[in-house]
Amino acid sequence: MTLLALSCTLIFVFITMFVSFWKKIGLEKSIAIGSIRAAVQLLAIGYVLQYIFKTESLAFILIIVLIMIAVASWNASKRGDGLKGVFWRIALTIVAMEAFMMLFLIGLKLIEPTPQYIIPLSGMTIGNAMIVAGLFTTAVKREVETSRGEIETLLSLGASGVQALQGPMKRAVKFSMIPTIDSLKTVGLVQLPGMMTGMIIAGADPVEAVRYQLLILFSHTGSAAMTSMILSMLYQKLLFTPDLRLRKIGRS
Amino acid sequence: MSAIFEIKQLSKRIPAGDGLSGERLLLNHINAVIQEPESIAMMGASGQGKSTLLRILACLESADEGELYVHGSSCRSMDRTKWRSQVCYVAQQAVMLPGSVEDNLRTVSRLHGTAYEEQLAIRLMDRSGLDSITMKKSAEDLSGGEKQRLALIRSLMLRPSVLLLDEVTASLDAVSGRLIEEVLMDWHNSEGTSMLWVTHHADQARRVASRAWTLEGGKLLDSGSHSLPDWEEDKEELLGSVNQA
Repeated sequence: MTLLALSCTLIFVFITMFVSFWKKIGLEKSIAIGSIRAAVQLLAIGYVLQYIFKTESLAFILIIVLIMIAVASWNASKRGDGLKGVFWRIALTIVAMEAFMMLFLIGLKLIEPTPQYIIPLSGMTIGNAMIVAGLFTTAVKREVETSRGEIETLLSLGASGVQALQGPMKRAVKFSMIPTIDSLKTVGLVQLPGMMTGMIIAGADPVEAVRYQLLILFSHTGSAAMTSMILSMLYQKLLFTPDLRLRKIGRS
Repeated sequence: MSAIFEIKQLSKRIPAGDGLSGERLLLNHINAVIQEPESIAMMGASGQGKSTLLRILACLESADEGELYVHGSSCRSMDRTKWRSQVCYVAQQAVMLPGSVEDNLRTVSRLHGTAYEEQLAIRLMDRSGLDSITMKKSAEDLSGGEKQRLALIRSLMLRPSVLLLDEVTASLDAVSGRLIEEVLMDWHNSEGTSMLWVTHHADQARRVASRAWTLEGGKLLDSGSHSLPDWEEDKEELLGSVNQA
């Protein structure tokens, strides 16, 4: 694709800005900043990846993955406003997920241990874990507030923290898995996933592209479930005082 | 022999409210003791801290100072799950746990890994006028009065030493309220569970309690050996002496 052709796609951005201006929605500035950021970020990562793919340096791979984890954890932890220590718990969970996924994929020789495979797949794994962690954190806060009566009733009957939170945590895990499950059910019927589409456009065999997409889908489903389950364990102590009273979740 | 339940120098501060900065003393160095199984009425005007005190006694809220003991064991040294198994709080608004009536009745057995006392549950359901309700019915579909009775039976299945009853009949009609009183007094007489009833009604206090604790101005006044009707008459005099002290 030429730069001129790429520039022509900016017309979609201008249309959106025009509609926003015309209907007085007030999104013009956000759309302009967002579009510039997206272009700069993607172009920058394109050049960085080009360099790393050439050097095949393990240190560079680690740095890129660590930056991804830090940004994802920071972004997901914004949903945990009022809960102390959410960032580190999410970061720990994403690190565990990333390590597990990469060891699994490389160990079973499903992917090559090269930057070309590790970095994009890490990005997908970490991005997926970030979305699940954000949804789970939002759901936990809402569940704990709306189920305060249920939790305190169980505590009054001598329940432990784990027992008292079992119902709300189960509901929060289910909620955070909705996009993943929906995506599993409708993939190929409603949406053609980005990775598969990209591979096909780049000239890969569609069946080969589908195989990689299935690998991603299945590993993401597993990582989504594991992310919310690990977080449900790590959040237990956040929600109670040391003497097992339910904390009030305020805005920090 | 140690007392069943003891409150020592218990204090609780809360935000002053009404736009005022700072804090006010809601509970001011409260002392009280239950030596033998008895049923006590907890009285006092709204906002005096009756519900807060009950929640502190169940360790659902924290106190700023003071100590609690059940059968001589301090609250601080006891695991909270064990404490709450002995000192059980029942809220004014009954909360049904997800599932059926039977699921709610089985809660205690599930939480503590003990055998489900089915005959006891059936007996209490009959005695509470819930005999026509099927065990498989969703607990959420019960009426307010039925929910409150089921919540009480669920707590009784725990066989606590002290039952903290936070206006448990306040939202019920007179007939349902009297049914609950009878069930609880039967249980108190047969099992020896001590009961602390928060109530605004002197007539209910006279029906269910042998003495009264009254919260006023952060102090707890114990009617002691006064009978409850006398206590109502003597309260002003006692309050005066406490305030002077």
